[in-house]
Amino acid sequence: MAQAQVPVTVLTGYLGAGKTTLLNRILSEQHGKKYAVIVNEFGELGVDNDLVVNADEEVFEMNNGCICCTVRGDLIRIIEGLMKRKDKFDGILVETTGLADPGPVAQTFFTDDEVKAKTRLDAIITVVDAKHFLGQLDQGSEAEQQIAFADVILLNKTDLVSEDELKKVEAKINSINRYAHIFRTQKSQIELNAILDKGAFDLKRILEFEPEFLHHGHDHDHEEEVKSLSLTADRPVDPDKFQKWMGALLQLRGPDIFRSKGILAIDGAPRRYVYQGVHMMMDSDWGTPWKDGETRSSKLVFIGRNLDGENLQRGFNDCLK
Amino acid sequence: MKLDLANPAWRQTLPPGRSVAGDAPAVACAFNKDGSLGGFALGDGRVRLLPADISAGETAAGEPLHGGVVLALVGDPAGDGFVSGGDDGRLLRIAADGRTSELACQKGKWFEHIAGHRATGAIAASAGKNAYVVKAGEVREFGPHQSTVAALDFSKDGSRIACAHYGGVTVWSIGQVVLPPRHFAWRGSHVALKWSTDGKFIATGTQENDIHVWRMAQATDMRMQGYPAKVKSLSWTADARFLYTSAQPVFTAWPFSGKGPEGKPPLQFGDEGAGLMTVVAAHPAAEFVAGGYDSGELQLGDIKTKRSVVLKMADGSAITCLAWSPDGFRLAVGNEAGTLLVLDLRR
Repeated sequence: MAQAQVPVTVLTGYLGAGKTTLLNRILSEQHGKKYAVIVNEFGELGVDNDLVVNADEEVFEMNNGCICCTVRGDLIRIIEGLMKRKDKFDGILVETTGLADPGPVAQTFFTDDEVKAKTRLDAIITVVDAKHFLGQLDQGSEAEQQIAFADVILLNKTDLVSEDELKKVEAKINSINRYAHIFRTQKSQIELNAILDKGAFDLKRILEFEPEFLHHGHDHDHEEEVKSLSLTADRPVDPDKFQKWMGALLQLRGPDIFRSKGILAIDGAPRRYVYQGVHMMMDSDWGTPWKDGETRSSKLVFIGRNLDGENLQRGFNDCLK
Repeated sequence: MKLDLANPAWRQTLPPGRSVAGDAPAVACAFNKDGSLGGFALGDGRVRLLPADISAGETAAGEPLHGGVVLALVGDPAGDGFVSGGDDGRLLRIAADGRTSELACQKGKWFEHIAGHRATGAIAASAGKNAYVVKAGEVREFGPHQSTVAALDFSKDGSRIACAHYGGVTVWSIGQVVLPPRHFAWRGSHVALKWSTDGKFIATGTQENDIHVWRMAQATDMRMQGYPAKVKSLSWTADARFLYTSAQPVFTAWPFSGKGPEGKPPLQFGDEGAGLMTVVAAHPAAEFVAGGYDSGELQLGDIKTKRSVVLKMADGSAITCLAWSPDGFRLAVGNEAGTLLVLDLRR
């Protein structure tokens, strides 16, 4: 059926960061729009909406031998159920628990054909408590993962910390994920246009969304940490070699690579080749055509753990003509 | 039985019957016990009851019975109407005259799957991680399972229920003597389940586009792969010789007579539909089968002669549900656009 895909926005963040406040703000400020809200069973506050569904965050491992291919089966089920409704809605908001790994949520939208046909993952928004974030980083991998997966980060409760502390937190966030948009907020107050309908997972909008995407650089931090890096090339990419290299890389390092994106100038192809992935799962398509005289350069972005930028760049270089 | 399922005339005109243009997606359909009513669960909370007899008058659409979507519907094994489940957490008994009574309520959960057992009058339904069995006014809870129950079915004799969930299937004995449940393990998420009509096998459809079948007696299992989509509809033939599966362009039946299907290809027949089969329903008595497609086509076939006929529905909307009347003379069909049909297939 020619039905527009319903956008899904995922809200993550530690307990108390301000997720539910943001959720209620979206619901009360988006006048005339109808949302279905999927909340976790440990929701902090009441959510004021007609259509609230409680989810149990039931994650399962795909039976394909890949330990990082974990999926939220409950989301598949709930989305299927919601799509049977006569009354359609403009969007779905998914609130995760404070300690949730956003990976399974994101991978659900890469995995299930029906979910893919009827909805599209719009963006992952992570709400960060400016005062407690650095401490939360030490408590476990969740806070770091939530930053790594984010397209948009609300650095919230900025009124509770000094400018110096804020800068420290921002620097830390940047070192993990330098491709997310960071907004400083108090009480999750934000212009909603800045965070909704981002198309962050839309292959057609990869360039538009990533202001930093064309920026090239390497970090030389400790490798164990989660960080982001980009690779570039000015010579055309050999598609067979690239596929082989990328396939092997994701097979081996999938669990460590949270998100990846790329725009490739394939040898002899008139259009850009764009892809994006979450762990080992990936979507790709042909993007916009190259203009006459335009420099045909390729860029890849990785956000993950234990990334060795120089090694990756060498591997990528071997895929070039 | 005077049925001609491969009647070529139906390529041009649908068989006689009743057609109602609903305005909400059809989610599930069923006939009541005596076959006098076709019932349709709709996406606006209504359950539409249509008299199978074409000469009987039309019934009104009625008020919504559930808060949001009616997620499941079966013929009431212990009454003259139906049993419905909704995303308002209610399990309702609907009498043939439309009156309702609440059988169970699980606030905040969805009653998503229901099965009925005709000989014992028992109803099994699932909400969240639990299954509930309603019999003679008593409601008993079975669970919790490791994840939300994604499908359930009765054993042939009605003494057990099987629930599908992450990691496999759990079989509960539902008699008065409480026995520990039996687990049949297979990794991944199981999204459809049907117990064979002879009670010897349990088949599931998985998230990985496979089907998995356990042989009850030996607790051995088998896996059939190669589907292009999830198999969400399974249907055993009345004689349990074949298991029909959806998610193929033609009728696909795995042979379970003799040594079983291992190492054999499935039997495939029928016209290639424009898309994939979304729902398949074996005839309750004879060698016939009905299949609905995501393209909106409906195909009727005969496994004995391998003949079939494709019926084109006017609106081309994906078929979501099919049900045979208990006598096998009528077929209820519903689609995503809300078209509801009760077809009379007698010649």
